[in-house]
Amino acid sequence: MYKVVFRLFVVLFAFRSWAQSDTTITLQAITGLQFDLARFAVKPNQKVKILFKNEDDMAHNLVITQPDKRLPVVETVIKMGDKAQAVNYVPPMPEVLVASKILVPNTTETITFTAPATEGVYPYVCTYPGHGYVMYGAMYVTTRPLPLLATDPNIPPSRQTLERILSSPHPFPLEYPLLYRTFMPECSPAAIAVALSASHAYCFDAGKCYLRYAWRGGFVDNTDHWKGNGNALGKIQGTIYFKDNVTYPLRVGKADKLPEVDFKGYTLSNRLPTFRYAIDGVEVRETLKALPNDEGVSRTFVFSKPTTQTVYLVTQHTDGITYKSSVGKWQNGTLTLPKGTTKCVVTMQAPPAAQGAHHGH
Amino acid sequence: MNFSKSRVLYKSSLITYFLVQLMISPLFAQRDTITNYYETERIKLPKGLRAETGGMDFMPDGRLVACFHLGEVMTYNPKTKVWKKFAEGLHDPLGVAAISNTEILVMQRPELTRIKDTNNDGVADVYETVTDDFGMSGNYHEFAFGPLKDKDGNYFIALNVASNGAGIRPEIRGTYDSLSREGRMYSCVPYRGWVMKYNVKTQKLEPYASGFRSPNGLGFDAKGRLYVSDNQGDWRGTSPLYHVEKDKFYGHVASLIWKKDFPRVKPLSLPVEKLDSMRTREAIAFPHTEIAHSVTQPLLDNTGGKFGPFMGQLFIGEMDYPRLVRLLMEEVGGQMQGACVAFGDGTGLLKGNNRLVFDKNGDLWVGHNDHGWVGDEGLSRIHWKGKIPLEIMAMNLTKEGFELTFSLPVDAKIATNPSLYKFQRYYYKYHRLYGSPKTDVADVAVKEVTLSPDGKKVSFKLTELKAGYVYDLKMGELKTADGKLLMNRAIYYTLNKLK
Repeated sequence: MYKVVFRLFVVLFAFRSWAQSDTTITLQAITGLQFDLARFAVKPNQKVKILFKNEDDMAHNLVITQPDKRLPVVETVIKMGDKAQAVNYVPPMPEVLVASKILVPNTTETITFTAPATEGVYPYVCTYPGHGYVMYGAMYVTTRPLPLLATDPNIPPSRQTLERILSSPHPFPLEYPLLYRTFMPECSPAAIAVALSASHAYCFDAGKCYLRYAWRGGFVDNTDHWKGNGNALGKIQGTIYFKDNVTYPLRVGKADKLPEVDFKGYTLSNRLPTFRYAIDGVEVRETLKALPNDEGVSRTFVFSKPTTQTVYLVTQHTDGITYKSSVGKWQNGTLTLPKGTTKCVVTMQAPPAAQGAHHGH
Repeated sequence: MNFSKSRVLYKSSLITYFLVQLMISPLFAQRDTITNYYETERIKLPKGLRAETGGMDFMPDGRLVACFHLGEVMTYNPKTKVWKKFAEGLHDPLGVAAISNTEILVMQRPELTRIKDTNNDGVADVYETVTDDFGMSGNYHEFAFGPLKDKDGNYFIALNVASNGAGIRPEIRGTYDSLSREGRMYSCVPYRGWVMKYNVKTQKLEPYASGFRSPNGLGFDAKGRLYVSDNQGDWRGTSPLYHVEKDKFYGHVASLIWKKDFPRVKPLSLPVEKLDSMRTREAIAFPHTEIAHSVTQPLLDNTGGKFGPFMGQLFIGEMDYPRLVRLLMEEVGGQMQGACVAFGDGTGLLKGNNRLVFDKNGDLWVGHNDHGWVGDEGLSRIHWKGKIPLEIMAMNLTKEGFELTFSLPVDAKIATNPSLYKFQRYYYKYHRLYGSPKTDVADVAVKEVTLSPDGKKVSFKLTELKAGYVYDLKMGELKTADGKLLMNRAIYYTLNKLK
């Protein structure tokens, strides 16, 4: 009995201390000379444990340097020539804060250290010759929110749209656009999640045949849904910027009549889906694309025949979206498409993404 | 214990073991095992595939097409051993049928989908909804199975009921009806718990037969009869296989509420005797833990003898044991009934034998799955090595007992000894509780054993023969005159009707 109580105490104590100060970060070297995380944040003096995994098919290391010392360290290694290999390509200089060994593919090393007391941006880099110019990221030692990803000068420019690259759960790499039929929140059970890019996505309801919502900052995490019997919902990664509260926004004949809908499937063109469905017998093809700078989406509606009745697109003008249409007239948030319409492009512009602090991993 | 001493002991006992083996080997060198007849090969998977196999078929060009839990459809060329992506993003696909080298049908949770590669780049670009004309409450247990194509080109699919282990979603598809929400498994949107037929002429999904719980397996026999398996649970004393005919009811009560002209009553409020009289019994009951826990897809051996002596018979997969089950059915009193016997034990097969398909060489491909339950992941291929094992080829009901037919003549002296055979009978209760114990278990004495002149048929007269029981026969070591052993010595006959 005494033993059990003692153990419980130890566990509680360990958990408490971990929760208070330690942090664990999983960082992967992945294909394309990059790290899966473009940046992460720790607090000054925090105990940091990095699980460094090499998921690439070539050798890499992980070196964290003093602020602004990435290139001097990288260039010192190159100057060392043949001698560098013996020291895992880590030069013996004070600019190196902490470093791993060289990891061959599919190996892991755990690095533990205490974060510097001084706030700042501490680069991490692979110093294997040639890699360090492109394969790097930023460890922020700070208690404050991180700067906007899109203009963060401390990360590779190619990563200014993508903080974290997900590893593919499939026997092929993740490519975008990317589509999953899965269970989604606030949608009928016949949901389709589509990523236009790794950081901009929407949910189309294949049961009700309309766009339910769109979000920025990531795609959907199906880990729990795919575990076992599939009970869990997919988790949205990022922030929803549009949600349709109208239900059945497309109407035929009368703006206030909810339509009968029939989902017919989708086609992919360079992976981008075009949905096919019928609204009160009117066949529609709808394609969604990202607006420049992900400031919303454009929706292209193509009718299989010129419409013989008035078609309406009903929106809610309090949804924070600025609507524009290539055809028709807007009145009180409802777009009226005249008879004979064959195609209509509606743009939905949302205020720019409010970039929050994304440093919880 | 002293480590070095134990190592010495181990070493010396190993030497003794080999010496003994060497001495007795002439006696046992020919000990007959299943590996003399069948071998199982594991198929190498592509990196990154979580091979929870939902469906498998072969394309006309010989490529395997298989779908997996994370929504991928992959092709595998058995000649080049190359895997390729064909489609992706599907919702828990649990069945695939190849239409051509560029077109397949897939049953996924929300719909039956036709998937085509129209630009011939090897990857699908068109996903057409063939039918989604059934309800979804969002409950995880509403799995969808099939499609199985009939000779007229129609497709059968089967729809699970929901589990009270989870609720329904705020938004559902289909008309909600709470009448069968009570109970372990429920059907609150149309046609959950039904086998459905997609009519290609009318392009409509028609309700075909009701009373199903978790019908994870559809197949035809050589005469085109439709069989659907189900899983032990409520209204399922043990896992069954049904011969499914239009408009019949197969026992699980929740789906009755969608039956045309069924009164507005809670199915659970009906007396069990009434429900029992309405249902059609299983052609085969698989005694739980005796032979199976969870049977899957029935598949006809249509290889013309390329897979051994079992052509015209059905095999069925099994989830919890590393085996398949072979089915020996006959028509008695206008109904199908018969026996089941293990197959594949000892060949190195994994568990989770969810999907079966023959290739044109007559090898049997097995797709494994666990899906959050017992099982395994991956793909295997079972190959017949060309020799005939001693197996039971038929078990037929007679007026006074049974007749077994063997693949080879058996040793007359051994086979005519009545003490070699132990018959037992029992039944499984039909009730709302989960599963049933063996009920009214009794040994049945063998009055008489006779062997046919060709040595292939053994007939039993039993002291008692009753309808509504499983007859469980376990045999001693039966063999041929040249020492071939009976590979599977337990067989279970579901006796619904007497002769």
